[in-house]
Amino acid sequence: MRTFQNKLFFTLVTCLTWSVATLAKEVEDTKAWEKEVPENKQDLLAIQTKLQSVLTKAKEAVVAVQSGGGAGSGVIVSKDGLVLTAGHISGRPGRSVKIVLPDGRRVDAVTLGGSEISDSGMCRIKEEGEWPFSPMAEKGKSQVGDWCFALGHPGGFFEKRGMVMRIGRVIHKRHATLRTDCRLLGGDSGGPLFNLDGEVIGIHSRIAMTDDANFHAPIESYHEHWDLFKEGQMISRRDLQKGGFLGVGTEETEEGLKILDLVKESAADKGGILEADVIIAIDGEPIDSQEELFIVVGSREPDDEVVIDLRRGKKELTITLKLGKRPE
Amino acid sequence: MQTPLQRLFNQLPMVCLFLFIPSLTHLQAIDLLPVEERRNGRETLDAFEEASKAGFRSTVRLVSKGRTLALGTIITSKGHVITKASSSIGVQEATLADGTSYKIRTMGIDKETDLALLKMKRAKDLSPVTWSEGNDPGEGSWLVSADPTLKRLKVGVIGAKSRPIDRIGGVIGVILGRDGEEMGGVMIQRIMPRSAGATAGLENADIITSVEGQKVTAREKVIELVGANDPGEIVDIQVKRGESLLSFRVTLGHRSVAFQMLDRNARMSGPVSKRKDNFPMVIQHDVSLPPTAMGGPVLNLDGKALGINVARVDRVTTYALPAKFVRGIFKKLRRPKPKGE
Repeated sequence: MRTFQNKLFFTLVTCLTWSVATLAKEVEDTKAWEKEVPENKQDLLAIQTKLQSVLTKAKEAVVAVQSGGGAGSGVIVSKDGLVLTAGHISGRPGRSVKIVLPDGRRVDAVTLGGSEISDSGMCRIKEEGEWPFSPMAEKGKSQVGDWCFALGHPGGFFEKRGMVMRIGRVIHKRHATLRTDCRLLGGDSGGPLFNLDGEVIGIHSRIAMTDDANFHAPIESYHEHWDLFKEGQMISRRDLQKGGFLGVGTEETEEGLKILDLVKESAADKGGILEADVIIAIDGEPIDSQEELFIVVGSREPDDEVVIDLRRGKKELTITLKLGKRPE
Repeated sequence: MQTPLQRLFNQLPMVCLFLFIPSLTHLQAIDLLPVEERRNGRETLDAFEEASKAGFRSTVRLVSKGRTLALGTIITSKGHVITKASSSIGVQEATLADGTSYKIRTMGIDKETDLALLKMKRAKDLSPVTWSEGNDPGEGSWLVSADPTLKRLKVGVIGAKSRPIDRIGGVIGVILGRDGEEMGGVMIQRIMPRSAGATAGLENADIITSVEGQKVTAREKVIELVGANDPGEIVDIQVKRGESLLSFRVTLGHRSVAFQMLDRNARMSGPVSKRKDNFPMVIQHDVSLPPTAMGGPVLNLDGKALGINVARVDRVTTYALPAKFVRGIFKKLRRPKPKGE
């Protein structure tokens, strides 16, 4: 009897120790800023400490962008002086703009490419040098719920005030837009949105009146067209509409970009695409959003031949078809 | 028999429809962060419990005719309250978070910091704020303030360098046009609606000939003479209108208010404080408060007050006057004025 009790006790103790150990491990593993919501003061302090640990470095690469009439913000993302900003700040490629560094020093820059669709833009500092820069988050890293902070020069560059930081969370993320409750104001446009690892996850674009309607171009929109932007190419809606036309209405789903409707007699219809097909890739370029489809198809000419990989039910198939022209 | 063009034309409404379908269907699958989990969401605010208890205990609503004009910060257990002077003109009552109301009297006003010292009559055993003794905790530190209902909190962080804010003089609220000797003064090109000048009776195309008795023929001189006065102060303006010479006494307004309609950022900011300049030192933070929440304390996570909110500046900015200055003003205003002053 005694031995049994001892055994039982031993087992209990082992179980308890084990569960305490797992519990402790879980607590350790779930970082405060990764929880659904911070639960207490310790969590808040952990978020604060994490933010402050990357803030000084993050601020070094934030600039003001001044051109003719307007002023915005930007962030340097390469040692040789590539600056990300908003598309409506950089505007047309090849323009001269001034970049104001955090210490107030002004240097010349030239605007490069961008996209009207996501409101992304780029400039390059002309002067040679080793510029302080911030890393960009990898594609798909930022998620709804992430804690983040906005930096920028709301109202313009003021040396005594310096740049302004605001905290918030990612509320919504779509292909061409990221929404947060980091409050923004005019002058912030083009400034960076950082995650708590100090990586740029978005560029400030626009606001609506309410507290949590602040919109940013996701960093993915830069990754996607990196070379195009660097070469000074603009992605404009109007240009793309003049390009090739497939003739499909689509929906972004978990499985991919699903065809909802077909324009009768369009390239898609004639080429044998069916409703409920899922587009996987066009000419080998993976497609999973409406914007990507719009850009890839629109940047081809009408009458260009394209190879489309599709999923139909469980089958995968490849269709080659000739693009058409967008109806007037 | 239809031509292909006619067929296309018939299909056009459908093409338009396609553009809408994706966005509609998307709404159902939308991945939105629930409101409760956002920065100022209910679940997030629960984590600020310690600070919120302290905040609600030591903040009062300053009420006039049933309307909350500002908040106040309880400084002593006997009901001394510090608030923003220009926001709390005419308040009659101070109401605690639990609903208890006290009549108040004003003990003094410090124009420089725009603070007023009030006394809640017959108050005792109240919970005054505990001031934070440490240094400026720095950018990125969490802050908490009560909103004007004293039922909800708003949270944010210190967001810029603590610094003095320069004075901005009062304005007539006009855009000045042509000037010079031959004009005989400075023309008012455009008068802002409801501005100080409009209220006083100035009109477009009036030519300002003198300010405070001094002849003016240059725009800069008008700006200098007017701007030497603070908002709320009265300035004598003489103008030539046609053949007649007219005199006006203009009670100056605030620059940011007068020119609000020309400023897109001001329009996107909603209501802001009138006086938001000329402070010896401010802590800048992003706690999203309406101007009627000024005068209340801004607290750290331990519930200690770092200072008092003194100005809602724009959509992204609130200024707080640091505790050190508030305590100094309290000492100064509490001391009864010597007789015969």
